This record gives sequence, C-alpha cells and structure tokens, in this order.
Amino acid sequence: MATVLKKIAPQTVADDYRHGFHDPENYVFKSAKGLTREIVERISEMKDEPDWMRAFRLKAYEIFQAKPMPAWGDTKLLSEIDLSDIHYFVRSTEETERSWDDVPADIKRTFDRLGIPEAERKFLSGVSAQYESEVVYHSVRKDLDEMGVIFCDMDTAVKEHPAIVQKYLATVIPPGDNKFASLNSAVWSGGSFVYIPKGVEVKMPLQAYFRINTENMGQFERTLIIAGEGSKVHYIEGCTAPKFSSNSLHSAVVELIAMEGSSIRYTTIQNWYRNIFNLVTKRAVAYKNATVEWVDGNIGSRLTMKYPAIYLMGEGARGEILSMAFAGEGQHQDAGAKVIHAAPNTTSMVTNKSVSAHGGKTTYRGLVEIFPGAVGAKTRVRCDALIMDEESASDTKPTMKIHEQRSTVEHEASVSKIGEEQLFYAMSRGLSEADATAMIVNGFFDFFVKELPMEYAVELNRLVKMEMEGAVG
Amino acid sequence: MANSATAVARLHEIAPGTTLRVVAGEDEILLCNVDGTIYAIEDICTHDGAPLDQGELEGCRIVCPRHGANFDVRTGEALTLPAILPLPTFAVRVEDEAIYIDR
Repeated sequence: MATVLKKIAPQTVADDYRHGFHDPENYVFKSAKGLTREIVERISEMKDEPDWMRAFRLKAYEIFQAKPMPAWGDTKLLSEIDLSDIHYFVRSTEETERSWDDVPADIKRTFDRLGIPEAERKFLSGVSAQYESEVVYHSVRKDLDEMGVIFCDMDTAVKEHPAIVQKYLATVIPPGDNKFASLNSAVWSGGSFVYIPKGVEVKMPLQAYFRINTENMGQFERTLIIAGEGSKVHYIEGCTAPKFSSNSLHSAVVELIAMEGSSIRYTTIQNWYRNIFNLVTKRAVAYKNATVEWVDGNIGSRLTMKYPAIYLMGEGARGEILSMAFAGEGQHQDAGAKVIHAAPNTTSMVTNKSVSAHGGKTTYRGLVEIFPGAVGAKTRVRCDALIMDEESASDTKPTMKIHEQRSTVEHEASVSKIGEEQLFYAMSRGLSEADATAMIVNGFFDFFVKELPMEYAVELNRLVKMEMEGAVG
Repeated sequence: MANSATAVARLHEIAPGTTLRVVAGEDEILLCNVDGTIYAIEDICTHDGAPLDQGELEGCRIVCPRHGANFDVRTGEALTLPAILPLPTFAVRVEDEAIYIDR
C-alpha cells in the first residue's frame, strides 16, 4: 500500500477540488452513549442531509429497536456487546487527539515487524487526521473524472448524486434485513460510493484509502458500488496492518450492483484490533453475463460475522467468493459465503480456507440456493480448515437448497492439521519449525494471496508468519 | 370459474395505508388499501415463506417484517432483495362496500 502510493508523483493541490473530503469547518462531537431517535436526528442534521436520508435513518432506527439480537452464531460472544454502552457517532477531530503513547504496544511492535512507514503507522492508529493520500487522491481523481467515473465517500454522494443513490441504496440490503443492517442504516457514516458508466474499464484498483479520513474510521461504513453495463472495476479496502479503534462495534453494509456484462471485484483484508466485534452485511447482485468476485480476508477482530453473498439474477451471471480466515487466541472468525442462483446457466465457486491456532475458532457458514428454473446452474464449494493445535477449533456448516434438478452441485470440505511429513521435509531442509509452519500455512493461503496486489500479498505473508508465532497483538 | 359469492371483508375494516389478512378457500391473502384502492396479494413472503401481515404498508409497498424485502402490492413484484420471486396477486372486486376475490 505505501509502496504503491509512493510511486505516483505528487501533484500540487492547487485546484479547490474538495470532493470526498469532509468540511474543514467541523467541530468536535461525540454522541452520548447508546442510541436514541434524537441522536439519529442529530447525525443527519450535522451532516446537513436531505430529508429523504433523514427519513431513511429514522425508519431504520425504528426497525433496529424492534429487532432482537441474533439467536444463532456465537451467542456467548455476542452477549458481550452492550448496545447501550457504545458511542454511535464520533466526529473527526476528536479522533486526532489520540496520542501515539496511547497506541497499544503490541500494535507498535506489529508495525515494526511488518515494516510499516511512520506516517502510515500514525494514520492506522488514528493518531493523524488525514493520510498523505490526499495528494495521491487528487491525481487519481482527475483520471477517474475524465472517464466519467464517480468515486467519493457516501456522505458526499447523498448530496451530490441523490438520484442514483436513492434509486439503488437499500435495494440489495434493505434496513430490515437484520439487526445490524438496520443499525448501519440508521447511523452510517462514511463508506464509498462508486459509479462506473457503461463500457468503462477502470484499470487501477480503487482503494478505500484514497478517500478515508478519521470520521470514516470504519465503524459504520456504508458502501454502494454500481457498475454500468459492460464496465469493470476492482475495489480494495482494509489493510493487513492492524487497525486500532476505540469503538468496539463495527457494522458495515456493502451493496454491489453489477449490470449486464459488467464485472466487479471487491477485495477486503480485515485486521481489526482484537477488541472489536465486526458484524458485516455484504451482498451483490449480478445481472445477465455479469461477474462478481468477493475476495475476503479475515484476520483481526474478536468476533467477525460476515457472509459475502451473490445473487445471480441474470442468465450467464457468474459469482466467485474466495475467503480466508485466521483465528488466533481469543478470536472467532465466523465467516462464509452465500450464493443464490436465480437464473439459468449461472455459475459460482466458493473457496474458503481457514486456520485456527492458539485457541482460536473458525466457522464456515455458507448457503448455496438454486431456484426452480435456474437450469444449467453450476456451483462448486470447497472449504478447508486447518487446526493447528488442540486448543483450537473449527466448524463447517454448509447449507444447500437445490430446487432445480437440471443443475450441477459440488461440495467438498476437509479438516486437517499440518502434515507431519510436510513439516519434517521442510525442517530437514534447514528450516526451523516456526519457519516451516509459516511456509506451509502461507502455502495453504496461497489461493487467496495470489489474488492480491503485490504490496498486500507481501504484508499478508509476513503477517501470517507473525500470527503463527503467536507474537502478534 | 364463477366469481366468489362471499365477501372476504368489508371496506371499512381496512383503513387506507393498512392491511388485513383473510383466508379465501385455501388461499392466505393480504388485502392492502393503497389510497382507497384495495389490492390482494398472497400473504406468504417469497423469501422465507412466512406471512407479511405484520409488515408495514408504505404507499404501494409492503415491507416484510422479518428481513425487510419490499413488494409492490399492485403487481406483486419483488422490489428489493432478499426477495427475488414475485408474490401471486388476486383480482379484487368491491361492491357495496364488500370486498370479493375474483378468480
């Protein structure tokens, strides 16, 4: 990430292009703990939002209050969340007052080991308000503008592109979908809005970094990506270095819409600090001959519940979900994938690989559903779990609902520990047990790592190695 | 088939902006009053197979209370995920304040 940004020549920030940046005349604000109707109204007021968005938030608030906590999943960990003890809205400059001294020592150590540059460290730990990506951001923005691409934060999109936003927002994930979708719908702040016009192929990946600032430190981001017919885009968010946040509940909502013949790839590497509950709803719709790919990496957080989904709605649509999870001490990665085949000749592939070590727990929760009439649908699911030691655990809970006989369904799953022979072989070649183990685990995750841009891949490999040593916080 | 001779409900039982669940023969039907016009949809969400009657009617849209799917009550069309398939609809006839389902 840092290497990519350095390669792009800085440009003078002479144009007064403030697209995507929050208003500098803001003031410090931190909402009182808990959520009330007044707080939701205040959020909308402070963002100076149009009435339709205020109404959307308030409606979602009602739904949130009415819904119970999930009765499935890791209910023990979920019961640790005290919804009345959370600040649901924190305005930017408040965050910048965190001093470098407050950043946990283990995070600083990880930065050292991963070789993260100083400026990036300060940004990731919330110490600095805005990353130097501002400069990079401007040059990238010009190229995008010329192509007619819209890429800005969601707050801006609501004001500057209300027609498109109103047309598509919440059509993929309505507020009533689940308790955390309704929470996000009520208090969302930040997140990206991307619109790619017909036929445009965006060659460089769009990175969330390019428009992030501390207000959007990721607590309740709302992202909406619309790819016009025949267009192509790759969006990347997150990073391998641990993201520190004083907010313990993160609940993002991501909606993707891939129009006919278009292609969207969405890559996430999540490495939230270990105190965070990360409950995310991500869903895509793929129309005729469109492709959606979720590349989803889960390394951090205390509990992550996330099941990227693809609804294949048009003939010939294709979906692929590559997901990896690493659960270390005290962590539970409850991840998976959902694919719904609602049209003929659609194809999907789900590959999920997880490693649990030092007492961590991974769960795969997946759904493949083939609707009647989805003739010629083909799906393949593969889940592999690696359990490193006796304290760790892994569960696989795949569900398949097949309502169309003229379809092909494959599923395979495996659970294993590292092969003694593999380890012996590597060690006999001079590697220490730690290095050999790291190498084998990195090999296990290779299917995922090779899909990432180089800088992420290198950092991820290093991070996996550190995690295996149990040396990382 | 002959029009049904028994009214399933009376107009005054469904205020504009509200719904009423009725059973007609073997069909579970939700009557929806959109600004004075009565529409009838099958009261089974095509997403999870459970009733819609506890959902809110917002204009011409019924919102499923469990997962938020929106349907257009005039046509049965699924307007948002997680619903994909449309709801079956029924022809409605109102005579002398009585509501009949025509098949």
